Amino acid sequence: MDMKKELERWLSAGGIEGPVLCYGFADMDLHCKYCRSYLALTKDTLVFLYLGAEKERKTFSGAPMNYLEEAPELRRFPIDTLKNPQVLDMVIGGQFCVEIDGVDTDICSFTGAYMANMRHVCNILSKRIEGKELTEEDLKEPEGRGYCPKCGGPYPDQNRRICPRCMNKGSVFKRMFAYFLPYKWHLAGVMFCLLLTAVFALFWPYLSGTVLYDQVLGGRLQNAYTALVLTVFAMAGTKAMQQLFGIIQGILVAEIMPRAVNKMISNVFHAMSKLSIRFFSDRQTGALMTRVLDDANEVVGFYIDSMPYLFSNSLIFIGTTAIMFLMNWKMALLAIALTPPVFVIFAKMEPRLHHYYGRRHRTMRTLNSQINDNLTGARVVKAFGRENSELDRFGKASSRVRDAEMALVKYDNQYYAVYSIAQNLAVVLVWLLGSILVLGSNEISYGILITFAGYVSSLQGPMEFFSNAFRWWARAINAGQRILEIIDTNPDIMENEHPITLEQVKGDVELNNVTFSYQQGKTVLHEICFKAPAGKMLGIVGRSGAGKSTLVNLISRLYDPQSGSITLDGVNVKDLSFSCLRRNVAMVSQETYIFMGTVAQNIAYAKADATYEEIVQAAIFASAHDFITKMPDGYDTMIGAGGRSLSGGERQRISIARAVLQNPKILILDEATASVDTETEQRITKAIDQLVVGRTTLSIAHRLSTLKNADWLIVIDNGRIVEEGTHAQLIDQRGEYYKLYELQTKALSLRGIEG
Amino acid sequence: MNENEVLVNEEREAEDNLEIRRITKDNAVFFSTPGGFIGMELDGKRYERVQVFRTFPFTAPEVYISVREPDWKAREIGLIENLNDLEKQTRERIEIQLNRRYFTPKIQRILDVKMEYGYAYFDVVTDRGPCKFTIPMSGSVARLSETRLIITDIDQNRFEVADLERLTSQELRKLDLFI
Repeated sequence: MDMKKELERWLSAGGIEGPVLCYGFADMDLHCKYCRSYLALTKDTLVFLYLGAEKERKTFSGAPMNYLEEAPELRRFPIDTLKNPQVLDMVIGGQFCVEIDGVDTDICSFTGAYMANMRHVCNILSKRIEGKELTEEDLKEPEGRGYCPKCGGPYPDQNRRICPRCMNKGSVFKRMFAYFLPYKWHLAGVMFCLLLTAVFALFWPYLSGTVLYDQVLGGRLQNAYTALVLTVFAMAGTKAMQQLFGIIQGILVAEIMPRAVNKMISNVFHAMSKLSIRFFSDRQTGALMTRVLDDANEVVGFYIDSMPYLFSNSLIFIGTTAIMFLMNWKMALLAIALTPPVFVIFAKMEPRLHHYYGRRHRTMRTLNSQINDNLTGARVVKAFGRENSELDRFGKASSRVRDAEMALVKYDNQYYAVYSIAQNLAVVLVWLLGSILVLGSNEISYGILITFAGYVSSLQGPMEFFSNAFRWWARAINAGQRILEIIDTNPDIMENEHPITLEQVKGDVELNNVTFSYQQGKTVLHEICFKAPAGKMLGIVGRSGAGKSTLVNLISRLYDPQSGSITLDGVNVKDLSFSCLRRNVAMVSQETYIFMGTVAQNIAYAKADATYEEIVQAAIFASAHDFITKMPDGYDTMIGAGGRSLSGGERQRISIARAVLQNPKILILDEATASVDTETEQRITKAIDQLVVGRTTLSIAHRLSTLKNADWLIVIDNGRIVEEGTHAQLIDQRGEYYKLYELQTKALSLRGIEG
Repeated sequence: MNENEVLVNEEREAEDNLEIRRITKDNAVFFSTPGGFIGMELDGKRYERVQVFRTFPFTAPEVYISVREPDWKAREIGLIENLNDLEKQTRERIEIQLNRRYFTPKIQRILDVKMEYGYAYFDVVTDRGPCKFTIPMSGSVARLSETRLIITDIDQNRFEVADLERLTSQELRKLDLFI
């Protein structure tokens, strides 16, 4: 049902006309009890609709409640009496608050799932109050917590709008299968080997039972010894063939597995490298990559291991059953009748066993991290004399491991007891009935009984397989889905189809009404306008969290603004080719990243074909040459993960050298001297002073002294430009900048350093 | 206020921060605002609206309540050492705000827990009404003590199991894998 229509119906019953622009669900009443209420916004009125306490939650929290069962109580607030709407962040969920006649008024409260929606309402309301026209874009409903349209359950993972219960498993299966098509002959080989193994497995009970006991040892043959030798050879041959085909199959699997995994991972990595930074900041990259590796192994394992086994196990199952019925339908019926209960027991108990394993694993992990914590923090533990309490803490964690282990073992024993009773019961009953048939009515021979018992136990392999198969399938499909998802993600920042490449960049940067938010509703930058003419230095000042770093990230298109434009030499950066943009914009930020490799490789990161001279020149420029040459291996010193560790200042200077070598027209300095000592700072500042000559520089700094050379300063607070001008002008204005400046000079003079 | 005063003020604030600034029933009066919030008058200074934060939300929800300014900077005005030292009516006013901020329903009955693909789907009855929520299988249940749990769902809502021993054995078995 269209919720807006539904709300409009109730509103017009209450005498409020006009379309509902947007609405949000609020599930908490004044007494902090769950309730059902809505906040709806029409062109000129904000309306709160209250339906009473929650009697029964039919959907999971987060899923929209698209029904109003009874007439709601209405509270209306004409927009022209409202000011300054805001969603107050609570520890849990939020509160919608608006100023009515100068008094902050609590409108409604809601839990975490409805925050995004309410922020959307709040945004639109504030636009209406300011009297702005609303665009289509504005009215687009936010992507809040998604919920599956099929089953109504919430998507477990915000970033993955996939309902694991309802996803189209078939299409995932097909697409992942494409990875194995190049190896179809190998796969066919694997299949063939397994089928043969299965056939030989069917032979075995027949040979070892009926043939051996009835035919050979039954004494009815003339050449009993020859027959015996032949039979033994046949039996040995069967086993040997089984082994042989098993080995061939193993070789084939080993051939496909690494290649398919490799192909899959490189596809994922390729797709990842094209994704924009937002994708990575939304997820944990490291965890993502290990996940991908595990996922790829899972998928490949399923396709080349579980799937072929599915065929062979089905064949064994069907074959065994058929043969049993052919031999003796009564005993076959008994054996088959007992399979479903065994299967059910297995399928029921298995998952629980897995959970117990998981729990043990988790407690072990906690214990390990605690041990690790203690060993690394040994100095602190000793210094504070806390050895005993640490022992206690360890004791607790280790007793959790013990409990988990004991619970696991207990359940494991139960499980095996029940399982083997059920399993052996089938065998025992078959033996029982068989013995009666052998001794009592002579209906079957002893050999057939042996064969039968063999077949009954050979049913167990397939049964165990089938009871696990569904879980394997689900896991593989889920893993496959995750892989496809990365491969399918469209980068939200894409190069223009016909990009412009500027031959000669001057370096004029201009921002026009740039508005940006990471999450819808939480505006980080608000209509920012400024100009940085070519060759000039622009300083950006503001508290941490004011949006400074975000601002400079927009220039190199790590993110795109929601509205407004950023131009470089008059060309919108969205129309520029990536190569042109990235070649001309370099950033030295407080987060320096050193890649695994030599110092020289790290400096030459942006220009792989740099000559030795260029590298040394860049290092000298960045005041890095000195410390690099002092290291025993000089420019060939291995740094980064696993290599020599560098101090903050050293890393910083290497990243400056990197920027020097890139020789960009536009240089962005994001707190380049934030985390170093005064002496190093001076060195870096010296390096930067040389670097900025002839470039457009955008410099962010906490220490205003570093910005004293800036040609123009802008002060940002809460995502808006609050002041701008030259240093002298801003000091004269005696505003925010002046305040910061005075505070800093005072603080510095207190420490005996002149600002 | 001229700029010198601003600076002097900021300096003074920096110094003040070194000491706990106590709010007691003797120096402060709390009042309900017409908008449904609370305000405070402290030593003659009137705050039209204040926010209250718990400093030990799990272990001691009633002590060291931080009273803060209403804007996003939320500068601390002072600390209430213990809510129980205040007048009953004042305490109730503050508690309403705190309960709102730290909305944590206590689970009274567990109707159903389903586990699928690494997530658990709960259907419970709480002291604030019935609720269904979803948690990831690992890392969402924190054990505050031997018998007390805090469960955090995928929307960062929190639920409390105040005393494990008060659950029935069937309910406990449903929770078994999380504790």
